[in-house]
Amino acid sequence: MHDLQWKKIVIVILVLLLPCIPFGSSTDYILRILTTVYLYMILSLGLNIVSGFTGLLDLGYVGFYGIGAYTAGLLTIHFNLPFGVIILLAAVNGAIWGILLGVPTLRLTGDYFAIVTFGFSELVVLFIRNELWLTRGPMGISGIASPSFFGHSLSESWHFYYLVLVLLSIVLVIIHRLEDSRIGRAWYAIREDEIAAQCCGINLVKYKVMAFAISASIGAVGGAFYAKWFTFIHPDMFKFWESVLILCLIVLGGMGSIYGTMLGALLIIPLSEVLRIILPQYLMNSRYLIYGIILVIMMRLRPDGLIPFQIAQSQKNKHAQKRLFRHHETYP
Amino acid sequence: MVFDQSSLLLQQLVNGITLGGVYALIAVGYTMVYGVIQLINFAHGEIYMLAAFVALTLITQCHIPFFASFFITIGICGCLGVVLDYIAYRPIRKSPRLAALITAIGMSIFLQNLALILWGGQIHSFPQDVLPKIFTKIAINFSDVIVTWLEVFILCVTVCSMFILHYIITRTKIGIAMRAISQDKVTASLMGIPVNRVISFTFFIGSALGGVAGILVGIYYNAVFPTMGYVAGIKAFAAAVLGGIGSVPGAMLGGWVLGITEVLGAGYFSSEYRDGISYAVMILVILFKPSGLIGKPLPQKV
Repeated sequence: MHDLQWKKIVIVILVLLLPCIPFGSSTDYILRILTTVYLYMILSLGLNIVSGFTGLLDLGYVGFYGIGAYTAGLLTIHFNLPFGVIILLAAVNGAIWGILLGVPTLRLTGDYFAIVTFGFSELVVLFIRNELWLTRGPMGISGIASPSFFGHSLSESWHFYYLVLVLLSIVLVIIHRLEDSRIGRAWYAIREDEIAAQCCGINLVKYKVMAFAISASIGAVGGAFYAKWFTFIHPDMFKFWESVLILCLIVLGGMGSIYGTMLGALLIIPLSEVLRIILPQYLMNSRYLIYGIILVIMMRLRPDGLIPFQIAQSQKNKHAQKRLFRHHETYP
Repeated sequence: MVFDQSSLLLQQLVNGITLGGVYALIAVGYTMVYGVIQLINFAHGEIYMLAAFVALTLITQCHIPFFASFFITIGICGCLGVVLDYIAYRPIRKSPRLAALITAIGMSIFLQNLALILWGGQIHSFPQDVLPKIFTKIAINFSDVIVTWLEVFILCVTVCSMFILHYIITRTKIGIAMRAISQDKVTASLMGIPVNRVISFTFFIGSALGGVAGILVGIYYNAVFPTMGYVAGIKAFAAAVLGGIGSVPGAMLGGWVLGITEVLGAGYFSSEYRDGISYAVMILVILFKPSGLIGKPLPQKV
């Protein structure tokens, strides 16, 4: 119980502190990095639902990110809808694609699931690149209008800082509620042992499709924010490496652990900014080398991540945990 | 030159068979490793890419003749595969499969970016004067269907490699050990088979064949760049799945089917979706016939 109180104190401090950052002496640059960190927290929380909670390695997450970004970009360019509507429509579109991907892949596990999701995201990028009539292909979509509220268009860095903080909070609350609910427990059960879960009366189809849909819609919300923030999107932004980066965040932090994935984003995104400054221009992309090493080393030394999921869970609900892991004593 | 329809089709078939043979060579590496340790070795495509770079460096920087560097590169690639297994996969062999898969992805990204740092991101090409002159000459010119000696060479190397591999797997002691391990690792070790050594050998053979494919493609398209392994690796994996993963003849068949499908699809359907055709084939096979064309269906263990 002592740990729980300590955690509550940290959360309260963060809740009070984070909104104050723009009032401090921080520059636009710091705010932009923090906005990126929060954006990747949203994305990794979304990926965490499928890869962490349900235990299926999703290599195509960036596909949903791209779908969300292009949904937002195209809706802004053609219809100029309000920001709230765009975020909602992007989430719905992401969920639709999540279901479309989820239903046929229900039977797959492990490597085959990973490779099909990978193929999906590559097909999304190919589609975006080649269907010029819809997406303008390799030219990308530029000049996406910034979101505006009550007639005021957002332009300063701190506007977007608050916007992404609000989105992150909403996503965090949703995921927290899901984790503690019947749905979350069903996901853990599926992750631990699919067949045993089915025998306990868990409807695999329902819960897996639900996980895909929610995960995809969170990814799409992240993409929509990105499009509105960066005002320019390009097919190359949604390549496989982006998926690997997000995977790296949750592997470093701890697959399945909400705080772990957020810690992963907090550590790696600033690291990649530092590398961006240190590395010469032509070696820019080689910062992925570090991500590769992180993946390998984490799997070898600490496969549960910096904040393992199991501990997070045991602090919260020892009883539920006992019930869940009973048939799987050797975990992890 | 005006092509009529039938000779265009024939020309496409020639290209498809050349490309398919290369896919088959890479796919064999995937399928052998999958057969013995049930791991998708994502880094396999990067070994293929490194092979092209190593060969290029040996030829242009060290001035070693083409055929000598061809064999040296194959040896280096085989050793690279063994090292890869030793430092990355062996320590986590008892971990869950998800961990092994993530390690494989990590190694793949690591190697690709290592190549980016060592050789730079631009497209390299083999200078024309270092390759044997005969490669660009025309071997067969049958009513506008042109087959160069290079294509003949690629096909010969592919087929010879396949026969050597087939001989190793079916006739030699180590091949039998490999098949035993793919059936049951524990029982094989109880029968006195040095499991780790045989797995290393499997990595050696698979990576050496991947290396052969890398050099051949490097010359064929005359383009070597750090991301070449990523697309080719996935396509070869698609070929392995198409043939039935874990089955060596399946990988060969899958490679040719995929190569021909891809070339014909690019020629007659849409060249923009060239890569998409392979991905789509892969997804459809996994969804509807996961055991592939000639693989055995996997029983679900409880």
